[in-house]
Amino acid sequence: MTDLVIVGAGLAGLLAANLAARRGASVTIVAQGRGSLSLSHGCIGLGSLPASDLAPEHPYHRAGKHRLKPAVDFFLEAAHAQGVKYLGTTDSVVRLPTAAGSVLSLHFVPATLAPGDLSHPGRTLVAGIQGFRDFDPSLVAAGLRARGVDAGSAELPHPGPPPTRDWYSTDIAARFERSWSAKEVGRLWRPSLDSAGRLGLPAVLGLTAQDRILSALEEALGITLFEIPTLPPSLPGLRLERALRRAALAAGCRLLEGSAAIGRIDGRSGGARTLGVSAVTPAGPRTVEAGATLLATGGVLNGGWRAERSGRLHESVFDLPIAGPENRQAWIGPSLFDPHPYDRYGLSVNVNMQPCDRDGRPFFPNVFACGGILGGADRRREQNRQGIDIVTAYAAVEAALS
Amino acid sequence: MRTAPALAEMCLKCNICTSACPVMAVSDEFLGPKAVGPQAERFRHPRAHVPNASVSWCSGCGVCSRVCPHGVPVTELNIQAKGKLAEQNGAPLRDQLLARPALLARFAGPVAPLANAALQARPARYLAEAVFGISRSAPMPRFARKTFRDLEASRQTEAPRPSARPAVAYFHGCSVNHYEPGLGQLAVRVLDRLGFDVWLPPQGCCGLPLQSNGLFEAARGYARTNLRGLAPFAAAGTPILGTSTSCTLALKHEYGAILGMEEEACEIVAGAVFDFFEFLRDSVPQPLDPGSLQPVPMRVVYHPPCQLKSHAIGLPAYDILRRVPGLEITLSDSECCGVAGTYGLKRERYAVARAVGETLFDQVRETAPDAVVTDSETCRWWIQGLSGVTAFHPMQILALALGLEENSPRMRRPDVPR
Amino acid sequence: MNYPSATDVLVIGGGATGLGVAWDASLRGLSVVVLEQGDLGQGTSGRYHGLLHSGGRYILSDPTSARECARENLILRRIVPHAIEDTGGLFVSTPADPPEYADEWFAASRREGVAAQEITPSDALRLEPLLTPEAVRVFHVQDAALDSFDLLHALAAAIVAAGGHVLIRHRLERLTPAPDGFLAAVASPSNGSLLHIQARVVVNAAGPFAGRVAQLAGATLPLALGKGTMIAMATRLVNTVVNRLKPPADGDIIVPVGTVAVLGTTDTPVEAPEDVRIEPWEVDLLLYEAAALIPSIQDHRPLRAWAGIRPLYRPPDAGQTETRRLSRAHALIDHAAAGGPPRLVTIIGGKLSTFRRMAEDTVDLVQRHLGSSAPCRTDETPLSPPPRRFHRLPDRLESLGRHAAEPQLGLVCECELVTTEDIRRALDLSPTSDLDDLRRDLRLGMGPCQAAYCAYRSAGHLVRHDHETDAASALAIFLEERWRGVRPLMWGQSLRQFEANRRIYQDLLGMDRP
Repeated sequence: MTDLVIVGAGLAGLLAANLAARRGASVTIVAQGRGSLSLSHGCIGLGSLPASDLAPEHPYHRAGKHRLKPAVDFFLEAAHAQGVKYLGTTDSVVRLPTAAGSVLSLHFVPATLAPGDLSHPGRTLVAGIQGFRDFDPSLVAAGLRARGVDAGSAELPHPGPPPTRDWYSTDIAARFERSWSAKEVGRLWRPSLDSAGRLGLPAVLGLTAQDRILSALEEALGITLFEIPTLPPSLPGLRLERALRRAALAAGCRLLEGSAAIGRIDGRSGGARTLGVSAVTPAGPRTVEAGATLLATGGVLNGGWRAERSGRLHESVFDLPIAGPENRQAWIGPSLFDPHPYDRYGLSVNVNMQPCDRDGRPFFPNVFACGGILGGADRRREQNRQGIDIVTAYAAVEAALS
Repeated sequence: MRTAPALAEMCLKCNICTSACPVMAVSDEFLGPKAVGPQAERFRHPRAHVPNASVSWCSGCGVCSRVCPHGVPVTELNIQAKGKLAEQNGAPLRDQLLARPALLARFAGPVAPLANAALQARPARYLAEAVFGISRSAPMPRFARKTFRDLEASRQTEAPRPSARPAVAYFHGCSVNHYEPGLGQLAVRVLDRLGFDVWLPPQGCCGLPLQSNGLFEAARGYARTNLRGLAPFAAAGTPILGTSTSCTLALKHEYGAILGMEEEACEIVAGAVFDFFEFLRDSVPQPLDPGSLQPVPMRVVYHPPCQLKSHAIGLPAYDILRRVPGLEITLSDSECCGVAGTYGLKRERYAVARAVGETLFDQVRETAPDAVVTDSETCRWWIQGLSGVTAFHPMQILALALGLEENSPRMRRPDVPR
Repeated sequence: MNYPSATDVLVIGGGATGLGVAWDASLRGLSVVVLEQGDLGQGTSGRYHGLLHSGGRYILSDPTSARECARENLILRRIVPHAIEDTGGLFVSTPADPPEYADEWFAASRREGVAAQEITPSDALRLEPLLTPEAVRVFHVQDAALDSFDLLHALAAAIVAAGGHVLIRHRLERLTPAPDGFLAAVASPSNGSLLHIQARVVVNAAGPFAGRVAQLAGATLPLALGKGTMIAMATRLVNTVVNRLKPPADGDIIVPVGTVAVLGTTDTPVEAPEDVRIEPWEVDLLLYEAAALIPSIQDHRPLRAWAGIRPLYRPPDAGQTETRRLSRAHALIDHAAAGGPPRLVTIIGGKLSTFRRMAEDTVDLVQRHLGSSAPCRTDETPLSPPPRRFHRLPDRLESLGRHAAEPQLGLVCECELVTTEDIRRALDLSPTSDLDDLRRDLRLGMGPCQAAYCAYRSAGHLVRHDHETDAASALAIFLEERWRGVRPLMWGQSLRQFEANRRIYQDLLGMDRP
């Protein structure tokens, strides 16, 4: 019997696990997969819209404004303790270039990305590594120039013997950590630099030792360096995922990885409470009995809720209904880049982060939800995906443990 | 129930498995779990050959399946592909030998001192590498002269015997039976101290080495033997414990999912199998309260074996050892130690296997623990052999905490030369 | 590019029919120019289900078509083997189908010269494990899978090799009768300026656009447009074409084409040749019907949905007959004989499998107008494989499989094994700033992830080839185009893939509208 079972090991789930463990609760995490941080830039966006512009049922309002600061502080501290430093404030944004030459405005960014802040003027050189497919410096530079940034691009020779297969970002990161010397690489790359004030590289400078590698490379190259997230696997996101997962394990959380979860109702309560979940493990289902269950399963991407051909929308663990039209065509907009109605689908919660039905009644007193599974927000337009994850995780743990 | 190929279609190419693969991180030869798994699956024609040379670099560690958010059984796809490869091309003699540790031991056991001397002698290892392709650098355990079953003959039984105390059945596996009978005896003593009678059902090698080398038919033969021997115990509700996380995974999962065994006994036995520490953690809370444990003033690194993680039971040994007073226990930095069963023993794989575990060896070098602790025997032999630090089974630490072993450097070490 | 100012034969339409006509004509010594308003394969020929008919489908409903298909099947296997995978085909009746139909069908097959052989349902299951275990009668036929892109490019190359011209992205703007034929005004793709080509004979092979072309020439054309929707499943599922043994209806065929299986098709009358919208009921119907042949179809992932428009001849006596019942036999219209403009010939209807025969009939008529009489040689002239690397055919799946699993460098599209080299060569041969053109040539982005990675990777190649390219825009346009084909499938895994791709391009890369 565990105090809290958390379903999902993404940003929301892992942060919730860390917080619950810090507060003395016994925690079991049941997760199919490692969330979607490897698809993300690893930065924290709190949102571009003022709170007054958000509907009352928005997750931010449910979680409560007063939780923003403590949640962010806890996040920063948890990440930092595992060697992943974030810079920024809740009231300002850092403007970072992307691998497509766009610009994202984000509140907290990893230290290795921060020097790329485009709010600081100056010539920026963006360089790719020969043969590395998932970062194209010419695309970046062209995009930045179109936005008025003085940017140029270069291609750097591949350090070490030429690979015999295509490499991903993580392959390069592994070589930086295990076999390549930053000094040697710097010597190899130096001739390709121009007089730019800073150099943007693809985010490949290691999985755990990125600060050390970046500093060493900076010294060898004699130029300020910063990383730009690449096509997935995106290292800044991976670093954060790894940090929070290891922190959770070190804090005594039990992790059942590679297991889907099926919600279990407590028969003894006549259906009024949940027992916990059934973890679908390779050795068959295993009951995880818990005082409370926290759903941190994310949106539709990794199966937090499902959309069937029949038009049925439903949450995956307890089969809770997801409000939305039965007509499939109504889930999506005409154009790719439009907002799509399904962006806003998800569980509705009350101020105790309990999923509720249409009449505002919690489905179960001991089921809570946080992160991407919550509806009522357009995270893309609002630029607050990570903010919602962090603040609602904090609120949900407080509610679940009270 | 979706088949593996249908599940392969669910791949979204998110590359999470690619990022987690420990072999890709150190080798260009392996294209990666996504590429040789769900991606290549689209190009496989049932009536054509599946050459797929790259898939043979997959070590079968299982991390890819665990991290996939869509339930694509990547490891399984790759294991099946390796099986087809072995079926098509035949498995080399070396793999046939390495896949049958019990058989090897049956010949070597009676002449253990001679066999061990021969195996450890450098010229013999060079010869073994040249002729068979068994890496001369890979640590090899020593054969025991008397098997565990012989030493505990009185516990052998074909069905649970009536007993006053609760009883468990012990699946010892080849490693305990032929190489480390002392460990098995320690397990029996621990269980006895905790109030259990221990029976030894008829059993043989779990068959996992055969499966990992693609020899599915032979593995099925071993599986049938084990299911026959274990079924009466499972049917009687006797928990079946294993100290090897690989053996228990084979019994819990692989017989059904990989070997495709459909016997009824398969499911019944799987439901009755527990990892040793899983059982202690979940079924025996009382005697393991910290108050009842003696201090063990050691600094250790706990390395969870890959196959333990695939059980999806968390880290039960870690959970329990954390209650031992005075024990400083940190987690391994490495996802995989590299040996992956018989993988690291092969000449052509040794360098990659070694590189896979380098993070752990670095950690050991930097933090200089008193020991590394890990549940899997192949991991232990590999880690001890290559890091120079003693590698214990967590049960040996528990035994110390229960006062069953003297707390001294003479504590039984795995019989692997450093 | 050197433009021809005059030609014997001007063919409007660069689909299989138009290119077939031009190829046949060039082999008979006539000069030819083909005008295609889009890219090769953008029209109906590029949107079909991939079946090289054995004729089995039409044995009872349209025996003329059946006979023709059977004959042409053998000929095409001789002359364009590289575009064909010999999958064979099965006709399968289920308990829900009229039992006597199978016997009638089998008897008719012998009559019409369509090779068919009965096999037991258990043999059929051994051949195709996913097939329904409820199959009652099963017949094996000579269906095959034909890759139309390979075919079109092979034809175009042969035409050019023979001295003809294939002008893609050239729209016909005006067609004015001239003393010896027609004067065509053609819009050039680069700047829209008009080129003029004199033609002695004009062949209208514009498929669903044939009505508009006829109008330009001042002719009438009784054309019915039947939209057919298809779904490609993410994997091959079967290695034999599987047909339902009952009167032809919607959704009764599954064709393995390369790495996918195509479920086909519907038949809905439409007014305009651009109307390729897909309705949810069509998707549901195709999956429902496919389930009768492959019960586990629900467990498999649909990849993409698209529609092609069949141009069907509506003969004067057909009235308001539903498009499914109109003959699939082709119709060759000599407008002069019908009181229309002389030297204009329209060829419509038919099916891709009989394109060669359609072309032969057409060029015979063209020659009569021109007063020449060279014999047709297309039935004995093999077509060389096209110079570019196209989607490799299924019978090379083994080599593809080997290719998929060996270490290699420069894979841009991992789903479909498109390399940097392929892209460079394609851009050299046919420079473009449109990633969709590359897709058509190379199958870039046509796999399960629908260009999640290769869109970005290939955009960079565009820039490398031509520094002026607005790569961000090309990328956005390409992604939007990929979206169109998955829109009708937005549930389950397709919705997740779409969301994953939005996470990458919108959230991680910060891209917005084109």
